[in-house]
Amino acid sequence: MIRASASTQAQARARRRKEEAWALGLLLPAFGLFFLFYVVPLGQAIWLSLHQEDLFGRDLRYSGLDNYRQVLQDPAFWRSAKTTLLFAALVVPLELLLGLLAALLVWRPYPGVALFRTLFFLTTAVPTAVAAVAWGWFLHPVGGYLNHVLRTLGLSPQPWLTNPDLALPTLAVVTAWAGVGFTAILLTAGLQNIPEEVLEAASVDGASPWTRFWRVVLPLLSPTLFLVGLLVLLKSLTAFGQIHLLTRGGPIESTMVWIYRVYQEAFFNFRFAYAAAQGLLLFLLLVVLAALQFRLLGRRVHYA
Amino acid sequence: MRRLWPTYLLASFYAFLLVLPLLVLLSASLRAPEDLFTPGLLPPKVSLEGYRAALTDYPLWRYLLNSLLVASLATLGVLLTSLLAGYGLARIPFRSQKVFFGLVVALLLVPGEVTFLPLYLLINRLDWLDTYQALILPFAASPLGVFLLRQYIKTIPEDYFDAARIDGAGHLGLIRHVALPLSAPALGALAALTFIGAWNMYLWPLVVTQSREMQTAQIAINFILNEADAVARWNVVAAASFLVLLPTLLAFLLAQRAFVKGIALGGLKG
Repeated sequence: MIRASASTQAQARARRRKEEAWALGLLLPAFGLFFLFYVVPLGQAIWLSLHQEDLFGRDLRYSGLDNYRQVLQDPAFWRSAKTTLLFAALVVPLELLLGLLAALLVWRPYPGVALFRTLFFLTTAVPTAVAAVAWGWFLHPVGGYLNHVLRTLGLSPQPWLTNPDLALPTLAVVTAWAGVGFTAILLTAGLQNIPEEVLEAASVDGASPWTRFWRVVLPLLSPTLFLVGLLVLLKSLTAFGQIHLLTRGGPIESTMVWIYRVYQEAFFNFRFAYAAAQGLLLFLLLVVLAALQFRLLGRRVHYA
Repeated sequence: MRRLWPTYLLASFYAFLLVLPLLVLLSASLRAPEDLFTPGLLPPKVSLEGYRAALTDYPLWRYLLNSLLVASLATLGVLLTSLLAGYGLARIPFRSQKVFFGLVVALLLVPGEVTFLPLYLLINRLDWLDTYQALILPFAASPLGVFLLRQYIKTIPEDYFDAARIDGAGHLGLIRHVALPLSAPALGALAALTFIGAWNMYLWPLVVTQSREMQTAQIAINFILNEADAVARWNVVAAASFLVLLPTLLAFLLAQRAFVKGIALGGLKG
Protein backbone atom coordinates (compact mmCIF):
# COMPACT_ATOMS: atom_id res chain seq x y z
CA MET A 1 0.00 0.00 0.00
CA ILE A 2 2.76 2.46 0.95
CA ARG A 3 4.82 1.55 -2.06
CA ALA A 4 1.99 2.46 -4.43
CA SER A 5 1.50 5.96 -3.04
CA ALA A 6 3.63 7.88 -5.55
CA SER A 7 1.97 6.41 -8.57
CA THR A 8 -1.55 6.60 -7.10
CA GLN A 9 -0.96 10.25 -6.30
CA ALA A 10 0.00 10.93 -9.89
CA GLN A 11 -3.01 8.94 -11.00
CA ALA A 12 -5.29 10.92 -8.71
CA ARG A 13 -3.89 14.17 -10.03
CA ALA A 14 -4.42 13.08 -13.61
CA ARG A 15 -7.95 12.03 -12.76
CA ARG A 16 -8.69 15.31 -11.07
CA ARG A 17 -7.42 17.20 -14.09
CA LYS A 18 -9.59 15.06 -16.35
CA GLU A 19 -12.63 15.73 -14.18
CA GLU A 20 -11.94 19.45 -14.31
CA ALA A 21 -11.70 19.34 -18.09
CA TRP A 22 -15.07 17.56 -18.17
CA ALA A 23 -16.67 20.15 -15.90
CA LEU A 24 -15.38 23.07 -17.97
CA GLY A 25 -16.45 21.37 -21.18
CA LEU A 26 -19.98 20.89 -19.87
CA LEU A 27 -20.15 24.49 -18.67
CA LEU A 28 -18.81 25.88 -21.93
CA PRO A 29 -22.02 26.08 -24.04
CA ALA A 30 -23.98 27.97 -21.38
CA PHE A 31 -21.16 30.20 -20.21
CA GLY A 32 -19.91 30.89 -23.72
CA LEU A 33 -23.36 32.27 -24.58
CA PHE A 34 -23.51 34.18 -21.30
CA PHE A 35 -20.16 35.77 -22.01
CA LEU A 36 -21.05 36.73 -25.56
CA PHE A 37 -24.59 37.98 -24.95
CA TYR A 38 -24.47 39.32 -21.39
CA VAL A 39 -20.93 40.26 -20.43
CA VAL A 40 -19.68 41.67 -23.73
CA PRO A 41 -22.75 43.90 -24.41
CA LEU A 42 -22.72 45.19 -20.87
CA GLY A 43 -19.07 46.14 -21.16
CA GLN A 44 -19.74 47.72 -24.51
CA ALA A 45 -22.62 49.76 -23.11
CA ILE A 46 -20.48 51.08 -20.29
CA TRP A 47 -17.69 51.94 -22.71
CA LEU A 48 -20.13 53.64 -25.08
CA SER A 49 -21.77 55.66 -22.34
CA LEU A 50 -18.40 57.25 -21.60
CA HIS A 51 -18.06 58.57 -25.15
CA GLN A 52 -19.59 61.28 -27.28
CA GLU A 53 -20.55 60.83 -30.89
CA ASP A 54 -20.91 63.36 -33.68
CA LEU A 55 -24.22 64.15 -35.39
CA PHE A 56 -24.04 61.04 -37.54
CA GLY A 57 -23.38 58.69 -34.65
CA ARG A 58 -19.77 58.21 -35.70
CA ASP A 59 -16.42 59.57 -34.54
CA LEU A 60 -16.59 58.52 -30.93
CA ARG A 61 -14.36 60.37 -28.54
CA TYR A 62 -13.88 59.79 -24.83
CA SER A 63 -15.86 62.22 -22.71
CA GLY A 64 -15.87 60.76 -19.22
CA LEU A 65 -19.14 61.20 -17.36
CA ASP A 66 -20.44 63.95 -19.67
CA ASN A 67 -23.34 61.84 -20.92
CA TYR A 68 -24.48 61.07 -17.41
CA ARG A 69 -24.18 64.72 -16.40
CA GLN A 70 -26.23 65.66 -19.44
CA VAL A 71 -28.88 63.02 -18.74
CA LEU A 72 -29.26 64.17 -15.14
CA GLN A 73 -29.77 67.76 -16.32
CA ASP A 74 -32.26 66.78 -19.01
CA PRO A 75 -35.82 67.68 -17.98
CA ALA A 76 -37.13 65.15 -20.52
CA PHE A 77 -35.25 62.40 -18.71
CA TRP A 78 -36.72 63.37 -15.35
CA ARG A 79 -40.18 63.54 -16.86
CA SER A 80 -39.85 59.99 -18.16
CA ALA A 81 -38.39 58.78 -14.86
CA LYS A 82 -41.38 60.30 -13.06
CA THR A 83 -43.82 58.77 -15.54
CA THR A 84 -42.19 55.36 -15.04
CA LEU A 85 -42.48 55.52 -11.27
CA LEU A 86 -46.07 56.74 -11.45
CA PHE A 87 -46.87 53.91 -13.84
CA ALA A 88 -45.29 51.37 -11.47
CA ALA A 89 -47.12 52.90 -8.50
CA LEU A 90 -50.40 52.29 -10.34
CA VAL A 91 -49.61 48.83 -11.72
CA VAL A 92 -48.14 47.15 -8.62
CA PRO A 93 -51.04 47.56 -6.16
CA LEU A 94 -53.63 46.97 -8.87
CA GLU A 95 -52.02 43.80 -10.17
CA LEU A 96 -51.48 42.45 -6.64
CA LEU A 97 -55.09 43.14 -5.73
CA LEU A 98 -56.51 41.56 -8.89
CA GLY A 99 -54.18 38.56 -8.55
CA LEU A 100 -54.94 38.11 -4.85
CA LEU A 101 -58.68 38.09 -5.50
CA ALA A 102 -58.22 35.41 -8.17
CA ALA A 103 -55.88 33.39 -5.94
CA LEU A 104 -58.30 33.49 -3.00
CA LEU A 105 -61.07 32.19 -5.24
CA VAL A 106 -59.12 29.13 -6.40
CA TRP A 107 -56.90 28.50 -3.42
CA ARG A 108 -58.74 25.53 -1.92
CA PRO A 109 -60.20 22.70 -3.94
CA TYR A 110 -63.92 22.48 -4.73
CA PRO A 111 -65.78 20.92 -7.62
CA GLY A 112 -65.07 23.05 -10.69
CA VAL A 113 -62.00 24.78 -9.29
CA ALA A 114 -59.88 23.57 -12.24
CA LEU A 115 -62.04 25.55 -14.67
CA PHE A 116 -61.73 28.74 -12.66
CA ARG A 117 -57.98 28.23 -12.28
CA THR A 118 -57.70 27.94 -16.05
CA LEU A 119 -59.69 31.13 -16.56
CA PHE A 120 -57.80 33.12 -13.92
CA PHE A 121 -54.35 31.94 -15.03
CA LEU A 122 -55.23 32.39 -18.71
CA THR A 123 -53.64 35.81 -19.18
CA THR A 124 -50.17 34.27 -18.78
CA ALA A 125 -50.78 32.72 -22.20
CA VAL A 126 -51.76 36.03 -23.84
CA PRO A 127 -48.84 37.71 -25.65
CA THR A 128 -48.39 41.39 -24.83
CA ALA A 129 -49.11 42.36 -28.42
CA VAL A 130 -52.43 40.47 -28.42
CA ALA A 131 -53.36 41.95 -25.04
CA ALA A 132 -52.66 45.40 -26.44
CA VAL A 133 -54.82 44.83 -29.53
CA ALA A 134 -57.68 43.35 -27.46
CA TRP A 135 -57.68 46.38 -25.17
CA GLY A 136 -57.15 48.80 -28.04
CA TRP A 137 -60.42 47.57 -29.50
CA PHE A 138 -62.15 47.22 -26.12
CA LEU A 139 -61.35 50.90 -25.43
CA HIS A 140 -61.92 52.13 -28.99
CA PRO A 141 -63.55 55.59 -28.82
CA VAL A 142 -66.27 54.71 -31.35
CA GLY A 143 -66.72 50.95 -31.51
CA GLY A 144 -65.27 50.07 -28.12
CA TYR A 145 -67.32 47.88 -25.82
CA LEU A 146 -66.43 49.85 -22.69
CA ASN A 147 -67.74 53.13 -24.04
CA HIS A 148 -70.82 51.29 -25.26
CA VAL A 149 -71.46 50.05 -21.71
CA LEU A 150 -70.88 53.57 -20.35
CA ARG A 151 -73.37 55.01 -22.83
CA THR A 152 -75.93 52.35 -21.89
CA LEU A 153 -75.48 53.29 -18.23
CA GLY A 154 -76.04 56.96 -19.13
CA LEU A 155 -72.41 57.93 -18.56
CA SER A 156 -70.27 59.82 -21.06
CA PRO A 157 -67.81 57.81 -23.17
CA GLN A 158 -64.11 58.55 -22.59
CA PRO A 159 -61.13 58.91 -24.94
CA TRP A 160 -59.20 56.37 -22.87
CA LEU A 161 -55.92 56.39 -24.75
CA THR A 162 -55.93 59.82 -26.36
CA ASN A 163 -56.54 61.95 -23.28
CA PRO A 164 -53.14 62.82 -21.69
CA ASP A 165 -54.61 62.52 -18.19
CA LEU A 166 -56.22 59.14 -18.84
CA ALA A 167 -53.65 57.38 -21.02
CA LEU A 168 -51.17 56.35 -18.32
CA PRO A 169 -53.77 55.01 -15.85
CA THR A 170 -55.45 53.18 -18.73
CA LEU A 171 -52.15 51.58 -19.72
CA ALA A 172 -51.65 50.61 -16.07
CA VAL A 173 -54.99 48.77 -16.11
CA VAL A 174 -54.06 46.98 -19.34
CA THR A 175 -50.70 45.99 -17.83
CA ALA A 176 -52.24 44.78 -14.58
CA TRP A 177 -54.81 42.78 -16.53
CA ALA A 178 -52.07 41.12 -18.58
CA GLY A 179 -50.24 40.24 -15.35
CA VAL A 180 -53.19 38.83 -13.37
CA GLY A 181 -52.45 35.24 -14.40
CA PHE A 182 -48.83 35.54 -13.34
CA THR A 183 -49.55 37.02 -9.89
CA ALA A 184 -52.51 34.68 -9.36
CA ILE A 185 -50.30 31.63 -9.93
CA LEU A 186 -47.60 32.81 -7.53
CA LEU A 187 -50.10 33.90 -4.86
CA THR A 188 -52.06 30.63 -5.15
CA ALA A 189 -48.80 28.78 -4.52
CA GLY A 190 -48.15 31.07 -1.56
CA LEU A 191 -51.61 30.46 -0.11
CA GLN A 192 -51.21 26.72 -0.49
CA ASN A 193 -48.06 26.89 1.63
CA ILE A 194 -50.06 28.10 4.62
CA PRO A 195 -50.31 25.10 6.97
CA GLU A 196 -53.83 23.65 7.18
CA GLU A 197 -53.52 23.26 10.99
CA VAL A 198 -53.13 26.99 11.48
CA LEU A 199 -56.33 27.67 9.54
CA GLU A 200 -58.19 24.93 11.38
CA ALA A 201 -57.00 26.25 14.72
CA ALA A 202 -58.38 29.68 13.83
CA SER A 203 -61.73 28.16 12.84
CA VAL A 204 -61.91 26.14 16.04
CA ASP A 205 -61.29 29.34 17.98
CA GLY A 206 -64.41 30.68 16.32
CA ALA A 207 -62.82 33.22 13.98
CA SER A 208 -65.12 34.40 11.19
CA PRO A 209 -63.80 34.03 7.62
CA TRP A 210 -63.25 37.79 7.59
CA THR A 211 -61.14 37.83 10.78
CA ARG A 212 -59.36 34.71 9.63
CA PHE A 213 -58.37 36.45 6.42
CA TRP A 214 -57.04 39.61 8.10
CA ARG A 215 -55.48 37.98 11.17
CA VAL A 216 -54.17 34.69 9.82
CA VAL A 217 -54.05 34.45 6.03
CA LEU A 218 -52.78 37.92 5.19
CA PRO A 219 -49.93 38.00 7.75
CA LEU A 220 -48.77 34.54 6.68
CA LEU A 221 -48.99 35.50 3.02
CA SER A 222 -47.27 38.87 3.41
CA PRO A 223 -43.71 37.64 2.62
CA THR A 224 -45.01 36.13 -0.64
CA LEU A 225 -47.02 39.27 -1.37
CA PHE A 226 -43.93 41.39 -0.87
CA LEU A 227 -41.82 39.20 -3.13
CA VAL A 228 -44.48 39.06 -5.86
CA GLY A 229 -44.89 42.83 -5.51
CA LEU A 230 -41.18 43.25 -6.14
CA LEU A 231 -41.41 41.02 -9.22
CA VAL A 232 -44.33 43.01 -10.58
CA LEU A 233 -42.42 46.22 -9.88
CA LEU A 234 -39.44 44.96 -11.90
CA LYS A 235 -41.73 43.98 -14.78
CA SER A 236 -43.62 47.27 -14.78
CA LEU A 237 -40.41 49.32 -14.83
CA THR A 238 -39.53 47.72 -18.17
CA ALA A 239 -43.00 47.53 -19.75
CA PHE A 240 -42.66 48.32 -23.43
CA GLY A 241 -44.84 46.33 -25.86
CA GLN A 242 -48.23 47.59 -24.75
CA ILE A 243 -46.98 51.20 -24.75
CA HIS A 244 -45.44 50.84 -28.19
CA LEU A 245 -48.64 49.38 -29.62
CA LEU A 246 -51.21 51.57 -27.89
CA THR A 247 -49.80 55.06 -27.36
CA ARG A 248 -46.19 55.30 -28.68
CA GLY A 249 -45.31 57.37 -25.64
CA GLY A 250 -48.07 59.91 -26.35
CA PRO A 251 -50.35 61.77 -26.16
CA ILE A 252 -47.95 64.66 -25.52
CA GLU A 253 -45.42 62.33 -23.87
CA SER A 254 -47.85 61.35 -21.10
CA THR A 255 -46.83 57.67 -21.46
CA MET A 256 -43.18 58.25 -22.35
CA VAL A 257 -41.62 55.87 -19.82
CA TRP A 258 -37.91 55.48 -19.19
CA ILE A 259 -37.31 52.44 -21.39
CA TYR A 260 -39.39 53.96 -24.19
CA ARG A 261 -37.19 57.05 -24.08
CA VAL A 262 -34.06 54.87 -24.34
CA TYR A 263 -35.63 53.19 -27.38
CA GLN A 264 -36.47 56.52 -28.92
CA GLU A 265 -33.12 58.18 -28.27
CA ALA A 266 -31.37 55.20 -29.86
CA PHE A 267 -33.58 54.30 -32.79
CA PHE A 268 -35.16 57.62 -33.74
CA ASN A 269 -32.62 60.23 -32.64
CA PHE A 270 -29.66 57.88 -33.22
CA ARG A 271 -27.95 59.13 -30.06
CA PHE A 272 -26.65 55.73 -29.05
CA ALA A 273 -24.14 56.91 -26.45
CA TYR A 274 -26.72 59.11 -24.77
CA ALA A 275 -29.28 56.30 -24.85
CA ALA A 276 -26.71 53.90 -23.39
CA ALA A 277 -26.17 56.23 -20.43
CA GLN A 278 -29.94 56.46 -19.83
CA GLY A 279 -30.30 52.71 -20.19
CA LEU A 280 -27.49 52.02 -17.72
CA LEU A 281 -29.11 54.27 -15.12
CA LEU A 282 -32.31 52.23 -15.45
CA PHE A 283 -30.20 49.09 -15.32
CA LEU A 284 -28.68 50.21 -12.00
CA LEU A 285 -32.10 50.80 -10.50
CA LEU A 286 -33.28 47.35 -11.60
CA VAL A 287 -30.17 45.56 -10.36
CA VAL A 288 -30.59 47.11 -6.92
CA LEU A 289 -34.22 45.94 -6.81
CA ALA A 290 -33.32 42.48 -8.12
CA ALA A 291 -30.54 42.13 -5.55
CA LEU A 292 -33.00 43.05 -2.80
CA GLN A 293 -35.39 40.42 -4.09
CA PHE A 294 -32.64 37.82 -4.22
CA ARG A 295 -31.58 38.53 -0.65
CA LEU A 296 -35.15 38.05 0.52
CA LEU A 297 -35.44 34.88 -1.50
CA GLY A 298 -32.18 33.53 -0.12
CA ARG A 299 -33.75 33.57 3.30
CA ARG A 300 -36.75 31.58 2.15
CA VAL A 301 -35.30 29.15 -0.36
CA HIS A 302 -32.41 26.91 0.43
CA TYR A 303 -29.94 26.85 -2.42
CA ALA A 304 -26.45 26.12 -1.12
CA MET B 1 -68.98 21.72 4.49
CA ARG B 2 -68.89 25.39 3.57
CA ARG B 3 -71.51 26.79 1.27
CA LEU B 4 -70.14 27.11 -2.22
CA TRP B 5 -72.58 29.29 -4.12
CA PRO B 6 -71.02 32.62 -3.09
CA THR B 7 -67.67 31.35 -4.35
CA TYR B 8 -69.22 30.18 -7.64
CA LEU B 9 -71.05 33.46 -8.12
CA LEU B 10 -68.06 35.65 -7.40
CA ALA B 11 -65.61 33.47 -9.35
CA SER B 12 -67.90 33.36 -12.41
CA PHE B 13 -68.42 37.11 -12.39
CA TYR B 14 -64.71 37.83 -11.96
CA ALA B 15 -63.68 35.30 -14.60
CA PHE B 16 -66.17 36.87 -17.02
CA LEU B 17 -64.71 40.33 -16.43
CA LEU B 18 -61.18 39.06 -16.96
CA VAL B 19 -62.00 37.22 -20.18
CA LEU B 20 -64.22 40.03 -21.51
CA PRO B 21 -61.52 41.88 -23.53
CA LEU B 22 -60.64 38.60 -25.26
CA LEU B 23 -64.31 37.85 -25.96
CA VAL B 24 -64.70 41.30 -27.49
CA LEU B 25 -61.63 40.62 -29.63
CA LEU B 26 -63.03 37.28 -30.78
CA SER B 27 -66.33 38.95 -31.56
CA ALA B 28 -64.60 41.67 -33.62
CA SER B 29 -62.67 39.05 -35.57
CA LEU B 30 -65.93 37.36 -36.61
CA ARG B 31 -67.73 40.51 -37.71
CA ALA B 32 -68.40 41.67 -41.24
CA PRO B 33 -66.80 45.07 -41.98
CA GLU B 34 -70.19 46.79 -41.92
CA ASP B 35 -71.02 45.29 -38.50
CA LEU B 36 -67.82 46.44 -36.78
CA PHE B 37 -69.48 49.27 -34.92
CA THR B 38 -72.78 47.53 -34.25
CA PRO B 39 -72.95 47.39 -30.46
CA GLY B 40 -73.32 44.15 -28.56
CA LEU B 41 -71.10 41.32 -27.47
CA LEU B 42 -72.16 38.93 -30.23
CA PRO B 43 -71.62 39.72 -33.91
CA PRO B 44 -74.98 40.22 -35.69
CA LYS B 45 -73.87 37.64 -38.24
CA VAL B 46 -70.73 35.53 -38.35
CA SER B 47 -68.29 36.48 -41.10
CA LEU B 48 -64.90 34.92 -41.74
CA GLU B 49 -63.84 37.87 -43.91
CA GLY B 50 -61.38 39.09 -41.23
CA TYR B 51 -59.61 35.73 -41.11
CA ARG B 52 -59.56 35.44 -44.89
CA ALA B 53 -58.03 38.91 -45.23
CA ALA B 54 -55.56 38.33 -42.39
CA LEU B 55 -54.29 35.14 -44.03
CA THR B 56 -54.23 36.38 -47.63
CA ASP B 57 -53.28 40.07 -47.32
CA TYR B 58 -50.42 39.31 -44.95
CA PRO B 59 -47.95 36.42 -44.87
CA LEU B 60 -49.26 35.44 -41.44
CA TRP B 61 -48.10 31.83 -41.82
CA ARG B 62 -44.58 33.04 -42.28
CA TYR B 63 -44.76 35.15 -39.10
CA LEU B 64 -46.22 32.31 -37.08
CA LEU B 65 -43.58 29.96 -38.47
CA ASN B 66 -40.85 32.45 -37.55
CA SER B 67 -42.17 32.70 -34.00
CA LEU B 68 -42.48 28.94 -33.72
CA LEU B 69 -38.93 28.43 -35.01
CA VAL B 70 -37.46 31.08 -32.71
CA ALA B 71 -39.35 29.91 -29.64
CA SER B 72 -38.67 26.19 -30.14
CA LEU B 73 -34.98 26.57 -30.92
CA ALA B 74 -34.43 28.94 -28.00
CA THR B 75 -36.23 26.46 -25.73
CA LEU B 76 -34.18 23.56 -27.02
CA GLY B 77 -31.00 25.55 -26.50
CA VAL B 78 -31.95 26.51 -22.95
CA LEU B 79 -32.81 22.90 -22.04
CA LEU B 80 -29.56 21.55 -23.44
CA THR B 81 -27.18 24.20 -22.08
CA SER B 82 -28.92 24.18 -18.68
CA LEU B 83 -28.81 20.40 -18.38
CA LEU B 84 -25.10 20.22 -19.24
CA ALA B 85 -24.04 23.16 -17.08
CA GLY B 86 -26.41 22.16 -14.27
CA TYR B 87 -24.89 18.70 -14.15
CA GLY B 88 -21.36 20.10 -14.34
CA LEU B 89 -22.00 22.43 -11.42
CA ALA B 90 -23.91 19.93 -9.31
CA ARG B 91 -21.98 16.69 -9.83
CA ILE B 92 -18.34 17.35 -10.72
CA PRO B 93 -16.21 18.87 -7.98
CA PHE B 94 -13.60 21.24 -9.40
CA ARG B 95 -11.64 24.23 -8.20
CA SER B 96 -13.40 27.24 -9.74
CA GLN B 97 -16.90 25.83 -9.21
CA LYS B 98 -17.83 28.53 -6.71
CA VAL B 99 -16.80 31.25 -9.16
CA PHE B 100 -19.01 29.83 -11.91
CA PHE B 101 -21.99 29.41 -9.61
CA GLY B 102 -21.49 32.94 -8.32
CA LEU B 103 -21.54 34.16 -11.92
CA VAL B 104 -24.87 32.39 -12.54
CA VAL B 105 -26.37 34.06 -9.48
CA ALA B 106 -25.02 37.45 -10.60
CA LEU B 107 -26.46 36.98 -14.09
CA LEU B 108 -29.83 36.13 -12.55
CA LEU B 109 -29.96 39.73 -11.41
CA VAL B 110 -29.35 41.19 -14.88
CA PRO B 111 -32.68 42.42 -16.24
CA GLY B 112 -32.94 41.29 -19.85
CA GLU B 113 -35.07 44.16 -21.08
CA VAL B 114 -32.52 46.88 -20.50
CA THR B 115 -29.64 45.12 -22.22
CA PHE B 116 -31.41 45.35 -25.59
CA LEU B 117 -29.46 48.41 -26.68
CA PRO B 118 -25.91 47.07 -26.10
CA LEU B 119 -27.03 43.70 -27.45
CA TYR B 120 -28.30 45.44 -30.57
CA LEU B 121 -24.94 47.14 -31.05
CA LEU B 122 -23.16 43.80 -30.70
CA ILE B 123 -25.48 42.09 -33.19
CA ASN B 124 -25.00 45.00 -35.55
CA ARG B 125 -21.22 44.65 -35.30
CA LEU B 126 -21.49 40.90 -35.95
CA ASP B 127 -23.54 41.81 -39.03
CA TRP B 128 -26.38 39.62 -37.75
CA LEU B 129 -29.26 42.09 -38.04
CA ASP B 130 -32.35 40.48 -39.60
CA THR B 131 -31.13 36.91 -39.08
CA TYR B 132 -32.51 33.94 -37.17
CA GLN B 133 -29.35 33.60 -35.08
CA ALA B 134 -29.89 37.14 -33.78
CA LEU B 135 -33.40 36.18 -32.69
CA ILE B 136 -32.39 32.85 -31.14
CA LEU B 137 -28.80 32.71 -29.87
CA PRO B 138 -28.99 35.43 -27.19
CA PHE B 139 -31.83 33.41 -25.62
CA ALA B 140 -30.39 29.92 -26.11
CA ALA B 141 -28.96 29.86 -22.59
CA SER B 142 -30.56 31.23 -19.46
CA PRO B 143 -29.01 31.86 -16.03
CA LEU B 144 -32.34 30.85 -14.49
CA GLY B 145 -32.24 27.53 -16.35
CA VAL B 146 -28.70 26.71 -15.20
CA PHE B 147 -29.62 27.72 -11.66
CA LEU B 148 -32.80 25.59 -11.59
CA LEU B 149 -31.17 22.52 -13.11
CA ARG B 150 -28.16 22.74 -10.81
CA GLN B 151 -30.50 22.86 -7.80
CA TYR B 152 -32.58 20.01 -9.13
CA ILE B 153 -29.71 17.69 -10.07
CA LYS B 154 -28.13 18.27 -6.68
CA THR B 155 -31.16 16.66 -5.03
CA ILE B 156 -30.82 13.40 -7.00
CA PRO B 157 -29.42 10.74 -4.61
CA GLU B 158 -25.85 9.64 -5.33
CA ASP B 159 -27.01 5.98 -5.48
CA TYR B 160 -28.63 6.50 -8.88
CA PHE B 161 -25.37 7.80 -10.32
CA ASP B 162 -23.36 5.02 -8.64
CA ALA B 163 -25.58 2.35 -10.17
CA ALA B 164 -24.96 3.80 -13.64
CA ARG B 165 -21.25 4.17 -12.96
CA ILE B 166 -21.00 0.47 -12.11
CA ASP B 167 -22.52 -0.20 -15.51
CA GLY B 168 -19.58 1.72 -16.96
CA ALA B 169 -21.23 5.05 -17.77
CA GLY B 170 -19.08 8.18 -18.15
CA HIS B 171 -20.32 11.74 -17.57
CA LEU B 172 -22.29 11.87 -20.81
CA GLY B 173 -23.86 8.52 -19.98
CA LEU B 174 -24.74 9.73 -16.49
CA ILE B 175 -26.36 12.85 -17.95
CA ARG B 176 -28.29 10.90 -20.55
CA HIS B 177 -29.42 7.97 -18.41
CA VAL B 178 -29.72 9.50 -14.93
CA ALA B 179 -29.79 13.31 -14.84
CA LEU B 180 -31.98 13.78 -17.93
CA PRO B 181 -34.83 11.39 -17.04
CA LEU B 182 -34.82 12.27 -13.35
CA SER B 183 -34.96 16.03 -13.94
CA ALA B 184 -37.78 15.74 -16.48
CA PRO B 185 -40.24 17.69 -14.27
CA ALA B 186 -37.81 20.60 -13.92
CA LEU B 187 -37.02 20.50 -17.64
CA GLY B 188 -40.72 20.47 -18.52
CA ALA B 189 -41.43 23.50 -16.36
CA LEU B 190 -38.37 25.30 -17.73
CA ALA B 191 -39.43 24.47 -21.30
CA ALA B 192 -42.91 25.91 -20.78
CA LEU B 193 -41.50 29.06 -19.20
CA THR B 194 -38.86 29.56 -21.91
CA PHE B 195 -41.22 28.88 -24.80
CA ILE B 196 -43.85 31.31 -23.62
CA GLY B 197 -41.19 33.92 -22.91
CA ALA B 198 -39.63 33.56 -26.37
CA TRP B 199 -43.01 33.48 -28.15
CA ASN B 200 -44.03 36.70 -26.40
CA MET B 201 -40.80 38.65 -26.95
CA TYR B 202 -41.55 42.08 -28.32
CA LEU B 203 -38.82 44.66 -27.88
CA TRP B 204 -35.95 42.50 -29.14
CA PRO B 205 -37.51 41.31 -32.43
CA LEU B 206 -38.75 44.85 -32.98
CA VAL B 207 -35.23 46.30 -33.05
CA VAL B 208 -33.39 43.37 -34.61
CA THR B 209 -35.65 42.50 -37.55
CA GLN B 210 -35.83 44.71 -40.60
CA SER B 211 -37.45 42.85 -43.47
CA ARG B 212 -41.03 41.65 -43.28
CA GLU B 213 -40.06 38.02 -43.87
CA MET B 214 -37.99 37.95 -40.71
CA GLN B 215 -40.60 39.43 -38.40
CA THR B 216 -42.12 37.38 -35.63
CA ALA B 217 -45.87 37.22 -35.05
CA GLN B 218 -45.77 39.81 -32.25
CA ILE B 219 -44.10 42.39 -34.46
CA ALA B 220 -46.35 41.55 -37.39
CA ILE B 221 -49.32 42.53 -35.20
CA ASN B 222 -47.74 45.94 -34.79
CA PHE B 223 -47.65 46.73 -38.46
CA ILE B 224 -50.94 45.02 -39.28
CA LEU B 225 -52.40 47.28 -36.62
CA ASN B 226 -50.76 50.34 -38.18
CA GLU B 227 -51.96 49.51 -41.67
CA ALA B 228 -55.41 48.15 -40.97
CA ASP B 229 -56.27 50.62 -38.21
CA ALA B 230 -55.73 53.47 -40.64
CA VAL B 231 -58.59 52.17 -42.78
CA ALA B 232 -60.62 50.85 -39.82
CA ARG B 233 -60.20 47.18 -40.80
CA TRP B 234 -60.45 46.16 -37.17
CA ASN B 235 -61.91 42.78 -38.01
CA VAL B 236 -58.65 41.96 -39.82
CA VAL B 237 -56.48 43.18 -36.91
CA ALA B 238 -58.61 41.18 -34.48
CA ALA B 239 -58.49 38.03 -36.62
CA ALA B 240 -54.71 38.26 -37.00
CA SER B 241 -54.31 38.75 -33.25
CA PHE B 242 -56.52 35.79 -32.52
CA LEU B 243 -54.47 33.59 -34.83
CA VAL B 244 -51.33 34.69 -32.99
CA LEU B 245 -52.97 34.00 -29.63
CA LEU B 246 -54.14 30.53 -30.63
CA PRO B 247 -50.81 28.62 -30.35
CA THR B 248 -50.00 29.87 -26.82
CA LEU B 249 -53.61 29.42 -25.79
CA LEU B 250 -53.59 25.81 -26.98
CA ALA B 251 -50.20 25.17 -25.40
CA PHE B 252 -51.49 26.63 -22.15
CA LEU B 253 -54.67 24.54 -22.16
CA LEU B 254 -52.79 21.35 -23.00
CA ALA B 255 -49.85 21.85 -20.63
CA GLN B 256 -51.35 24.01 -17.91
CA ARG B 257 -49.58 22.09 -15.17
CA ALA B 258 -46.15 22.64 -16.71
CA PHE B 259 -46.97 26.32 -17.34
CA VAL B 260 -48.11 26.88 -13.78
CA LYS B 261 -45.17 24.99 -12.38
CA GLY B 262 -42.75 26.83 -14.63
CA ILE B 263 -44.07 30.20 -13.52
CA ALA B 264 -44.13 29.16 -9.87
CA LEU B 265 -40.51 28.02 -10.19
CA GLY B 266 -39.34 30.85 -12.38
CA GLY B 267 -41.37 33.39 -10.47
CA LEU B 268 -38.95 32.86 -7.66
CA LYS B 269 -36.73 34.84 -9.96
CA GLY B 270 -38.98 36.20 -12.69
